[in-house]
Amino acid sequence: MDLPLLSALFAAFALSLYVMLDGFDLGVGALLLAQSDEQLRDRMVDSITPTWDGNETWLIMAGVALLAAFPIAYGILLPAFYLPLIAMLLALGLRGVSFEFRYQAESGRQAWDVAFGFGSIIAALMQGFIVGGLIRGVAVDGERFSGSVFDVFQPFSLLVAVSVLVGYMVLGGGWLHLKATRNLRGFAERSLRLTTPVFVALAVATCAAASYVQPGVSDAWTSHPVVLGLIGLLFLSAAAALMQAIGGPLALRPFLLGLVLFALGVAGLGVTIFPDIVPFRMTLWQAASASLSHVFLLIGAAIVTPVVLAYSAFAYRVFRGKTPDTGWEL
Amino acid sequence: MNLDPALLARIQFGFTVSFHIIFPTISIGLAMFLAITEGLWLKTKDPLYLQIYRFWLGIFAMAFGVGVVTGIVLSFEFGLAFAKFSQMAGPAIGPMIALEVLTSFFLEAGFLGIMLFGLHRVGPRLHFLATCMVALGTLLSASWILSANSWMQTPDGIEVVNGHVVVTDWLKVVVNPSWLYRLPHMLAAAYITGSFLVAGVGAWYLLRGEHVAFGRRTVSMGTAFATILIATQVFIGDILYQKMLQLQPAKMQAAEGFWDKQSESPAPYYWIIVPDQEHQRNRFALGTPVLGSIGLTHSLDGRVEGLKNTPIDRQPQMGWVFYGFRVMYGIAIIMFGVAVASLWLRWQRRLFTTRWFLRLLVVMTPSGVLATLGGWYLAETGRQPWVIYGILRTIDAVSPVPADALLSSLIAFVCIYGLFGTSFVLFAFRIIRRGPQDALKARMVYAPVSGNPVPAE
Repeated sequence: MDLPLLSALFAAFALSLYVMLDGFDLGVGALLLAQSDEQLRDRMVDSITPTWDGNETWLIMAGVALLAAFPIAYGILLPAFYLPLIAMLLALGLRGVSFEFRYQAESGRQAWDVAFGFGSIIAALMQGFIVGGLIRGVAVDGERFSGSVFDVFQPFSLLVAVSVLVGYMVLGGGWLHLKATRNLRGFAERSLRLTTPVFVALAVATCAAASYVQPGVSDAWTSHPVVLGLIGLLFLSAAAALMQAIGGPLALRPFLLGLVLFALGVAGLGVTIFPDIVPFRMTLWQAASASLSHVFLLIGAAIVTPVVLAYSAFAYRVFRGKTPDTGWEL
Repeated sequence: MNLDPALLARIQFGFTVSFHIIFPTISIGLAMFLAITEGLWLKTKDPLYLQIYRFWLGIFAMAFGVGVVTGIVLSFEFGLAFAKFSQMAGPAIGPMIALEVLTSFFLEAGFLGIMLFGLHRVGPRLHFLATCMVALGTLLSASWILSANSWMQTPDGIEVVNGHVVVTDWLKVVVNPSWLYRLPHMLAAAYITGSFLVAGVGAWYLLRGEHVAFGRRTVSMGTAFATILIATQVFIGDILYQKMLQLQPAKMQAAEGFWDKQSESPAPYYWIIVPDQEHQRNRFALGTPVLGSIGLTHSLDGRVEGLKNTPIDRQPQMGWVFYGFRVMYGIAIIMFGVAVASLWLRWQRRLFTTRWFLRLLVVMTPSGVLATLGGWYLAETGRQPWVIYGILRTIDAVSPVPADALLSSLIAFVCIYGLFGTSFVLFAFRIIRRGPQDALKARMVYAPVSGNPVPAE
């Protein structure tokens, strides 16, 4: 059995769940800055409060799976993305404590909401910078990152960063479309109408620019034209369907289609860089740990992941339906 | 200015991990306290327990939040600051932390929302289950992370092939020689920390004559738990001490403050030293005569081994190790005294009225946190110069990241964590000043639209 491949699939699974789940949390956070009504802001934060922690845990899961299964790649990529990662971690921290602290702050809630919003935006942008840096490629010497920590800040990475941010805002708008009533629902519809076409345009621009800055990407287009073409087609169709569903009777539909957009994006990225773990530099087999490490990780994951998914779904079920106007009662 | 990246990486990791451990220590302790309190509420139907639960839930939620976000940083910092360590030890450390995420982080996160906001949605029994799952999650988390850290202290079950760790026996990696002793030590420390927090706040109310029923019940619970736990901890600590003497002699040599291969006889017990690592001596030392022989060798004239038994290039810095140990041990002695006094006063039925004792409890409120930090300084600085004891030196583990980047991130961490810490303390003080009667309202400030908050049960 190809253990490194299985571990890579598990890490990709965790990363995809992270992007989709924390994506809508971060999107709601970013939209917070566009909402001037404090009571509606309370409602927005309330809609994600009971479940955000579990969503963010998938980021740790993906990171730690990389450490366990591909320690060589982990030791190359983390120093390479030192600056955006540190900024992302601090921003996520600021956003994370704001959930509790904005509760406690009586007069200073607005300040914590600003911290919440900027924390979400910076975290999203930094994740985009990292994806951009991955596609452009990092300098590697043996098992060591040999470039500069500033390499990641390039115009192309900025394009990816903005795409990720706007994409998360689509997810966040979709989530509010599902959870909100009255005024806030109107706010969600307006933001979806604005962000969805911008996201599609940015995504197309990113794909075009990627083939330009990274020959490996154009190679992938030549070797997998059907799969990547199909993904692109589905992406555009899902975006069109999303636009149609805004304001419709099925409150869940825009959110689900937003998730589909991100799943397709992750799949496209996966097809492009496979089988590399340090894109266009090192394959996952070259970076893998010895097999017993994979065995331990995979047995643990196979047993525990279904349980995790079950009680996470239960938690979502407990807080299903519209977010109450009065906040979650204790 | 020429800055050493290795030193900066260590300061950054030391700062972020020290700040982090405060919050899990509190939340491990409080989670268990909350589970017990809710269990008592379900069993006795006494609404006072529900009030205690709700009051401490607010502080728990904040501590948990800060613990989560500062913990995420650590899971990436292995690679950010110590890339070589990650590449070498990832095959052993990584799967253990992955299992920690799977078995505990998700468990905590999944049930935390229900614990905080779900009582009326799922009913008391399922809510109690959620509280227990969160408490279990904190316990499992401690278990895995102690396993990973103990493996770095006493690595086992591996071989090193081409500079990479290859696991040969997972059982030996997870159940490594020091884990079985260090895990109960840390759990007891966290539960003691929670007990003193609870007792200290209750005592503060009793001194002010406010919320008397709440104050009495929590002082009673806090001191009772603290008494049982500190008595247990004395045993665990002693066994761990003997074990570490075998497993990491250099650490324990540094911890007692002696340099010469054999100390004088009878040996004093040092309280204050000014070590001079370069000349392998103390510039100044103050101690109690003969106590060292009695305490450390269980005889009247025994000699204690000093740090010169370890070659200079394998010695930890004595000052950090010694004072880490003294802070932990000194506080433990005072805690033991408090526990004995509480038993006596309880028997005399004066536990809630003896003002000097209540004042002492208030002073002791953060004592568990300080003792735990001291213990971790002993453990971590005493392992130096190794990051994986006997296998990889800390200096060889550092990332290829320039000093400027490390310095900038260190400054950013200090600023942002300063904000987290200050806000946590200020908000915790505010919750305490408001009092348990407002505990419900404090979480219900969200309800301006519908008017009055839903009353408690």
